[in-house]
Amino acid sequence: MGFLAESLRASAALIAGLDPDLRSAVWVSLYVSFWSTILASAAGVPLGLWIGLSHFPLKRPAITALNSLTAVPTVLIGLLVYGFISRQGPLGGFGLLFTPGAIIVGDAILATPIVANFTLAAARGADPAIVPTALTLGATRAQSTLTLVSEIRFGVVAAVISGFGRVVSEVGVAMMLGGNIRGFTRTMTTAIALETSKGEFALGIALGLVLLAVAFAVNVLLHLLQQK
Amino acid sequence: MTPPPLYRLDGIRKRYGDRLALDVPALSLREGALYLLTGENGSGKSTMLQILAFLLPPSAGVLAYRGNPVEWREAALLPLRRQVSLLHQSPHLFDRSVADNVGYALKVRGTEEGAAHRRVVESLEAVGLSGFGARRARRLSGGERQRVALARALALSPRALLLDEPFSGVDKPSAAVIRDVIATLPARGTTVVLATHDPAPLRGQADDTLRLYEGALAGTGGADDG
Repeated sequence: MGFLAESLRASAALIAGLDPDLRSAVWVSLYVSFWSTILASAAGVPLGLWIGLSHFPLKRPAITALNSLTAVPTVLIGLLVYGFISRQGPLGGFGLLFTPGAIIVGDAILATPIVANFTLAAARGADPAIVPTALTLGATRAQSTLTLVSEIRFGVVAAVISGFGRVVSEVGVAMMLGGNIRGFTRTMTTAIALETSKGEFALGIALGLVLLAVAFAVNVLLHLLQQK
Repeated sequence: MTPPPLYRLDGIRKRYGDRLALDVPALSLREGALYLLTGENGSGKSTMLQILAFLLPPSAGVLAYRGNPVEWREAALLPLRRQVSLLHQSPHLFDRSVADNVGYALKVRGTEEGAAHRRVVESLEAVGLSGFGARRARRLSGGERQRVALARALALSPRALLLDEPFSGVDKPSAAVIRDVIATLPARGTTVVLATHDPAPLRGQADDTLRLYEGALAGTGGADDG
């Protein structure tokens, strides 16, 4: 117990003193999470809307596939992307491996099904009167779809936040594609894994506390949006 | 030369599967008249309004609007839809302010902002909801919501206003306002078709009553029929 208490005290000191390693890991985490969420939203929101609002023969299998993709292990995504961006891979020439860009690509792939699924749920839960009402009022098909998106905006934002929550807390993609390079690709989660394996609990706990705070903030935001 | 009627229905039928929901052999609706469309629940009133609003294509027959047969393809329907307004029994109000709801149809038509604002203010005034513009539409009472929906339709100055049970579930003061507003519209050239199972509130003002029975046009009659 004394050891844990001492680690906790040391971690509090690291946070209060804005330790450079801690700051760097937090910054890299937020940076890659932000951009991967943007990419995942750009793909996932239209995908979720399209599946949710259109009628096509394979709609049910498409929804099942999308649901399954949310459960793909991060290390599997890491492995697949690694195959593409490693020096021997088809995209090896871009020199992405072990850069923040690689983590962004992997995390975007991880978050896209999550964003799409939440958006799909919001679209399917929308009042069925929205589009007919818009059409009755003289809106074009495109305008009525935009009106629907506007009506489910809180659901769409919740989808984006869920995507962010997923990528900020994952470790597999960041470790495999980023390489955990100090000050460059070391994220909060990879730093926690490393520090713990070294027996350096203080920095691990400090990063864990920051990660917890971020996750808590994301959940509070989600909760507030769900109450709208 | 006599102008063509606003609507001319020839052999209009609408089927849902095997069920014949509407059967109107011949009917003309002229401009600037108030029609009561009566019948029991399921008699085809809503189906007829949807067809007149160019939202639902008939299974058979020809609908002519201002003398021209309607082409049931999206590009041809949009300009027609923009000339009529359909007010549902439980109108959907968008999750935004009252003013944004009333101005929605003007916005999608690209109406200039200043002119749209004036129309919104006038329409809200007409239904007795001046000062309601900034309120959230979803937080209004049932009667207020119905009046906002009516204001939204009025803002467009439609050639035809189609109403589906506008007094249903509405408090008495709101029903009185709605009735009074509707009664003034034919004089301004707007054709009103009001579907109701209780024609009493507007019986005195109606130009004609159209009776539907199990989807079939069972007859038309004078203002006092019904």
